Amino acid sequence: MLRASGVGFGWLAAASLLAEQATADVRPASEDADPLAPRQPDFPARAKRVIFLFMKGGPSHVDTFDYKPKLQADDGKPLPFDKPRVQFAPTGNLLRSPWKFRPYGESGILVSELFPHVAQHVDDLCIMNSVHGTNAAHGGALLKLHTGSDTFVRPSMGSWVTYGLGTENRNLPGFLTICPTLAHGGVKNWGAAFLPAHYQGTPMGVASAPSSQARVKFIANGRLSRDEQRRQLDLLAAMNRDHLAQTGPHQALEARLNSFELAFRMQMAMPEAEDLSRESAATHKLYGLDDPVTADFGRQCLLARRFAERGVRFVQVTHSDTNVQWDQHSQLKEGHEKNSREVDKPIAGLLADLKSRGLLDDTLVLWGGEFGRTPTAQGKDGRDHNPYGFTMWLAGGRSKAGIRYGATDDYGYYAAENKIHIHDLHATLLAFLGLDHERLTYRYAGRDFRLTDVHGDVVRDIMT
Amino acid sequence: MRGLRPLVFVGMIGVSALALAADGPGDAGLRVFETRIRPLFARHCTACHGEKEQNSGLRLDTSEGILAGGDSGPAVVPGKPGESLLLTAVGYGADDLQMPPDKKLSDKEIAALRKWVELGAAVPGATAERAVRREALDLETERQFWSFQPIQRPPLPEVQNAGWYQTPLDRFVLEKLEAAGLSPAPPADKRTLLRRVTYDLTGLPPAPKDIEAFLADDSPDAWQRVVDRLLASPRYGERWGRHWLDVARYADSNGLDENIAHGNAWRYRDYVVAAFNGDEPFDRFVLEQLAGDLLPSETSGEPLETDPARHERLIATGYLSLGPKVLAEVDETKMEMDIVDEQIDSVGRAFLGLTLGCARCHDHKFDPLPTDDYYALAGIFKSTRTMEHFTKIARWWENPIPTPADLARKSAHERQVADAKAAIDERVARATEELKASLESGAALPKDVEAQFPEKTKAELKRLRDELAKLEKSPPELPTAMGVSDRDIVNVQVHVRGSHLTLGETVPRRFPLVLAGRDQPPLPADSSGRLALARWLVSPDHPLVSRVIANRIWRWHFSRGLVATTDNFGRLGERPTHPELLDWLAAEIVGKRTPGDVDEAGLESEDGGSRMEDGGIPRWSLKRLHRSILLSAAYRMSSAYDAHAAAADPENRLLWRFRLRRLEAEEIRDALLAVSGRLEQTMGGSMLNVANREFIFNHTSEDKTSYDSRRRSLYLPVVRNHLYEVFSLFDYNDASVPNGNRGTTTVAPQALFLMNGEPVMEAADALSRTLLSDGALSDAERVQEVYEQAYGRPASEREVERAVAFLGSEAGAERERAWSNVCQAVLASNEFVYIR
Repeated sequence: MLRASGVGFGWLAAASLLAEQATADVRPASEDADPLAPRQPDFPARAKRVIFLFMKGGPSHVDTFDYKPKLQADDGKPLPFDKPRVQFAPTGNLLRSPWKFRPYGESGILVSELFPHVAQHVDDLCIMNSVHGTNAAHGGALLKLHTGSDTFVRPSMGSWVTYGLGTENRNLPGFLTICPTLAHGGVKNWGAAFLPAHYQGTPMGVASAPSSQARVKFIANGRLSRDEQRRQLDLLAAMNRDHLAQTGPHQALEARLNSFELAFRMQMAMPEAEDLSRESAATHKLYGLDDPVTADFGRQCLLARRFAERGVRFVQVTHSDTNVQWDQHSQLKEGHEKNSREVDKPIAGLLADLKSRGLLDDTLVLWGGEFGRTPTAQGKDGRDHNPYGFTMWLAGGRSKAGIRYGATDDYGYYAAENKIHIHDLHATLLAFLGLDHERLTYRYAGRDFRLTDVHGDVVRDIMT
Repeated sequence: MRGLRPLVFVGMIGVSALALAADGPGDAGLRVFETRIRPLFARHCTACHGEKEQNSGLRLDTSEGILAGGDSGPAVVPGKPGESLLLTAVGYGADDLQMPPDKKLSDKEIAALRKWVELGAAVPGATAERAVRREALDLETERQFWSFQPIQRPPLPEVQNAGWYQTPLDRFVLEKLEAAGLSPAPPADKRTLLRRVTYDLTGLPPAPKDIEAFLADDSPDAWQRVVDRLLASPRYGERWGRHWLDVARYADSNGLDENIAHGNAWRYRDYVVAAFNGDEPFDRFVLEQLAGDLLPSETSGEPLETDPARHERLIATGYLSLGPKVLAEVDETKMEMDIVDEQIDSVGRAFLGLTLGCARCHDHKFDPLPTDDYYALAGIFKSTRTMEHFTKIARWWENPIPTPADLARKSAHERQVADAKAAIDERVARATEELKASLESGAALPKDVEAQFPEKTKAELKRLRDELAKLEKSPPELPTAMGVSDRDIVNVQVHVRGSHLTLGETVPRRFPLVLAGRDQPPLPADSSGRLALARWLVSPDHPLVSRVIANRIWRWHFSRGLVATTDNFGRLGERPTHPELLDWLAAEIVGKRTPGDVDEAGLESEDGGSRMEDGGIPRWSLKRLHRSILLSAAYRMSSAYDAHAAAADPENRLLWRFRLRRLEAEEIRDALLAVSGRLEQTMGGSMLNVANREFIFNHTSEDKTSYDSRRRSLYLPVVRNHLYEVFSLFDYNDASVPNGNRGTTTVAPQALFLMNGEPVMEAADALSRTLLSDGALSDAERVQEVYEQAYGRPASEREVERAVAFLGSEAGAERERAWSNVCQAVLASNEFVYIR
């Protein structure tokens, strides 16, 4: 049942729109319980929420966070071991990275020239160099990364997290995805599949439109003033109460009555959360909103912080435009330079901002694409998809800071040491949030389902 | 259910025992084992496959363990590294079987393993064959499970309240209620009933004139006539066909990774609607969907190629092709098996209520369905052509369904092409002759004759060729339909862990053992076996198919199945609340009076033959089943609340009252259009705005979908991965997996839609405009009109007063706006979207 509410406009004006701090200790067993009430995790959580910075198309790990001296040395030579049995496209010999790497921070971790701003925060990063998946095509890889399955329709990880933990702010969606891509799985990537609709991700805008236009669907009435709509809702509530008196007690009917009140509050909370004009000029600058190159993604990152701050459980931002953004089958240099310029400063800004507000302690930031790229050349200046070994990184949420974990082989083709499969990544994400991936199950069609299916090992070594 | 699969590798292990006994290779092999392999196992493997842990049942620290292998079968096949799972695993060639998991072995180590297997995989001291002999399935025991039991038409139970029941099925309902000390709710009033049944059978609200007619009809068969009228309405097929489309995971786009248009799926949708409207017997409906292409021709006199009846049967097989496919899967063999898997899984859930797909990677964990059963069915579907090719982006198969006119156009075009070619040849020949004539006698023709032609001739030839090219580029398009046909007939090997990279024994095509027994006649070598499969499914003694469809129909009438898990009749599914009633309904469907008295011949004939049993009752008629349900007292109960019953049976499992039901997504949209007088009733056809196989969503994320239409929701494109938001908001099915039991959630975004969504505001505007257009009406009369239209009842005095008070004393545009606001509140209300 939705939260009971008899409150009207006066309450709303006064109400804090920031997170409501309330907890209940059971997962909803039936429709009786509030499906979105905040819930205690299985064990003490490190992080309370997730911000996923999704780089669509597959950024190249060997050109960013996984420096390979042998690749630099053996440029133009053949790969000295077998390529995978199935490849997306044929590739030729090794192609050195066109960018220089240098050490940053106390950790001295090497980062390429593509991410000079993020590199300033390298001591906060937990760089996972040994992530691997199974699907070499965008669609399958996106679905695998977001839902754990590239063949079946499964709930998105954000839906699982919201199912597991509920949400801390009932006036905002628990799982938001900003400017998502409609291709390659589309809605499936934030869908709840067989989980109840409460856990569905709420999209704001699409990748093909500027983030300044991103809005939640139906969130505003273009015609009625707030007072007019309030009067209308009062009429509706009176009608619904009469109806309920006739039908007798009925959970869904009561819930539906309340859902209009909640919707009305969401209508107020959302514009407030979206309103970046309340942020200082310094903050705008920090996220690169003052520069047309970085403004679009900067706005997404700033929105992500504002939502995280207001108790949204899982926020995803997507870096993608009308092209498959990071998908440099050719013109690696031009493409990756354009892409990294657009995201580097906003991401660094987000990390700095979260940290200064104390939010980084309990917010887990995840960065990465659906796969990496081959160290071998496609054509003369491109790289093909590579799900066999690539890099994602974490920050905050009590992940181990300033480390690299796992490794690819000498050239960066295959994950080789301390491998982290996508299922392991999912198990670990849930563990950061205090959820046991083997216990976070949902019974559907007679079977208990998990985000990790029957797989997944928690990578304890990257948790503090 | 581990241990169900019979051991098939005994022979191979035998070979290894022989190798051990022999001199030569065995000795060399043993040396390799001792010097290289044993240390390698100890270093890399035995932590997880040793004394303490035997992951996947595999142990590599003993000779017996090495020979026996693990859950996935033997680890080594002596002499055959290519067939040894151990080498597959260490080679990292299979994505899902890579050992050791953390780091690949060195090339030298892998080479040593290969050598050792080549030499016979010798291990010391292993003399006895050790076989993990899997227990054979005990069919008799497994068949004790309720849903595998033969269907018996149960006797009607004795009940107390003889005055209540109207039809036989009522007695089953009443018996359970009486046993629980409950009584059924009183009958619903006429208005409530009419609203309930009209939405139920047509998905639309009753028209005021139909309400009047029913209220005025005091004859004893008034209700029956309403039911018959609605069952005869074409709206019935639109509503109930849509139910079936949920089960058929119908969609107008592929979804998954490459979301391209199913440009011809609508033909299947229209076929389904027509089948329901025509009360096509359900057994025939099953035969056509699974094997319409294989059904023998009927004697319509039309040539097969253009026979409309055959076209319908080909269109019906679209059922098998509609599933979502990973069309850019780079591993083509995997794609093929994934598509087969989707078919097995869908057929299993839709017709059998079994999760057959679970047996792809391992024996079913809960139901008696060993992996062999799965791959026996996989052979049937692998022998079926679903795809034209598998090269990314792969292309599904479509069957041509030309009319004679299409064929005439095609041959006319072919003639034109031939004529054009002949004209060119003729022109070239003529010019060559002319050229030859101009040459000195005896001189050889130049190599490139045409280069020597006069400019004028060259130009003419170019023109002719351009015309030909243009002509060839624009052949008339023949209509096609998604569907299947047979292809090379194969039996499939068991795929260990579901992977085509780890193949096991070959299983002949057949049906699941627990249902069809061990003595199945072999399927024909020259046909996939789909027709046999379909015939087996609809044989009158099949324990599942009639139960499953009877339960679906019940679910769609009462919002909850007698088996609540409509798509799972296995162990993890729920048990029936009324098992005898379910069997009674199933027996009704197949026309079974008492076991054994069935007219077999009627069902065995090719076209379903005679539909009548002895008493003249049509078999497999869904409309007949609807009637027996709708005429019951159970269906006509009110939904009145009863505190005592609610405490005893809070979920209303025993049906002490009629369940309140929220309208489904399509009903909500259709009702908005209907009550505002804007619903267009055109039937059939496609509303997709992209061509067949074109991207609906490509990498640009541009949204090409459009739902701006006043036609019934059934006809709006079902775009996977991007369903119409109004549909997904209101618990529309996912359109990717069979779903006979849509959920009903109540979430705030639904309220946002009703408050702010254009479709709702437009409906409110249209409704209020109509009301205001009649200047003769008073506001009170207008309120009455809205209530009649939207709720099918007059408004109470209090309700009229409340609405009129809301309108206030506004005039002009403000007044129109106030009226629209009232109408919108009515359309957003609980009473509008809930059926009592």
